[in-house]
Formats: sequence, C-alpha cells, structure tokens
Amino acid sequence: MSDAAVTRTVLVANRAGIHARAAALIATLVRRFKARVEIVKGNARVEGTDVLQILSLGTGQGEQLSLEATGEEAPQALDALEDLFIGKFGED
Amino acid sequence: MKFADFVSRGAIRAQLKALDKEGAIREMVQSLVESGKVDAGEFESIVKAILKREELGSTGIGRGVAVPHTKHPSVDRLVGTVAVSSGGVDFASLDGETVNLFFLLISPPDRPGDHLRALENISRQLRDDTFCRFLKQAKTAEEIQQLLDEADNNQFGS
Repeated sequence: MSDAAVTRTVLVANRAGIHARAAALIATLVRRFKARVEIVKGNARVEGTDVLQILSLGTGQGEQLSLEATGEEAPQALDALEDLFIGKFGED
Repeated sequence: MKFADFVSRGAIRAQLKALDKEGAIREMVQSLVESGKVDAGEFESIVKAILKREELGSTGIGRGVAVPHTKHPSVDRLVGTVAVSSGGVDFASLDGETVNLFFLLISPPDRPGDHLRALENISRQLRDDTFCRFLKQAKTAEEIQQLLDEADNNQFGS
C-alpha cells in the first residue's frame, strides 16, 4: 500500500450540480473501495465519504473538483468516480 | 444564501410528533400550509412528490440530518422549513442513524442554483458541531429561529 496520492480533476457536467442525490452517490461509491478520497475545491478539502461535507462545497454545473485518493485501490476509486461524473450521475 | 432567505418563520416545528418518514414529511408540509407559504390544495401533490424523491435514495444524509425536498410548480420561489424530532425518525439514512433534524425544501422547477445554495448553506453550518447539537436540543420554534439567526450572523465557526 502506497501513501502517494493520485489525483484527478473532474468537471461537474449535470445541470443540477452536486445536490443531495449526487453527493450520496459519490459517498456510497467511495465507501466501496479500499481508499481514502478527498475532494478539493479551492481552499476547501472534504472527505469523499461524508455527504454533508460534499454538499458544503456548493458545486454547480460547469465547476471543477479535484479528487485526491490514497490507499490500495486509489486508482480504481478515481476511475469509478470519474465515470460517475462523466455519466452526469445518471441525470439530464 | 442565508437561512432567512428560505426558512419560513411561522413553519418551524420544534417537536415533531411523527415517528416515520411519511408522517414527518406530512407534518412539515402541513406547517408550510399553515404559515401560508404553500397552497392547501397542493398539499397532497407536494407530499407525494417529496416521497417520490425519497424513493430515489434517502435524503437522510447522515449525522441525524435529513433534507427532504422536491421541485414543485406551485411555488415561485424556494420555500423551506426546519423541524426537530427529539425522539428521532427512521428515515433510512445513509449511515443508518435516526434523524432528529430536518430541513425541508420546495423549489420552483428550473431553479437548481437556489436549491444548491440552500443545501450548501445548510451543510456548511451543520459542520459546526455546536450549532448542530444546539439545534437538535432546541425545545421551541423560537429557540430554533434564534439559532438560525445566529448562524446567519456568522456566530458559529464556519
């Protein structure tokens, strides 16, 4: 297990932005992996498993988020998260 | 966005009687009807829409907090209310905990920005443990209102 963080930038493409259901999908997905994922927006950094913290970023359509993952399954977690963002959380 | 921008003063409830999800939602929508923010004729339609949204996944977002919500054409601006249940309501939350603190939101269709900013405000303020704890312990609507006003005036950390 490596401590080096892998990072990826994702675009919020869905019209509604990161609302409650989208945040819940992110948190549920992160929990499936042996990884710690932090979500960074500007100066704010939150835990990828905490819906309340994710919502506090107030991320709307067209904004970018940086995903930083550590742990055994960090790359897989980021792949899955990226798919979720590209798929617009099943919306639009 | 501040709590004062979307929380209807007259609709705040400190002692929810309901013990289940549907009952809690009905009580909160009824409080918005009674405070004149929602048309009585739209009551059932709004309750149904909120319950339908819950079927997509619980809005119980953890730490004893839920944000039941819907879009509805009968409102022309974001309306919301706050309710506290001292006994807790089974809301099928993500973390399995019962819910003590509710923020119910009804948005006009096609105004996702306002909804998002309300969620941002709620979640940002609730990150402060003191604010969250005081709200859950509030015994009257006046106490809740005072806590919301204090949060709006940045008297809690975040």
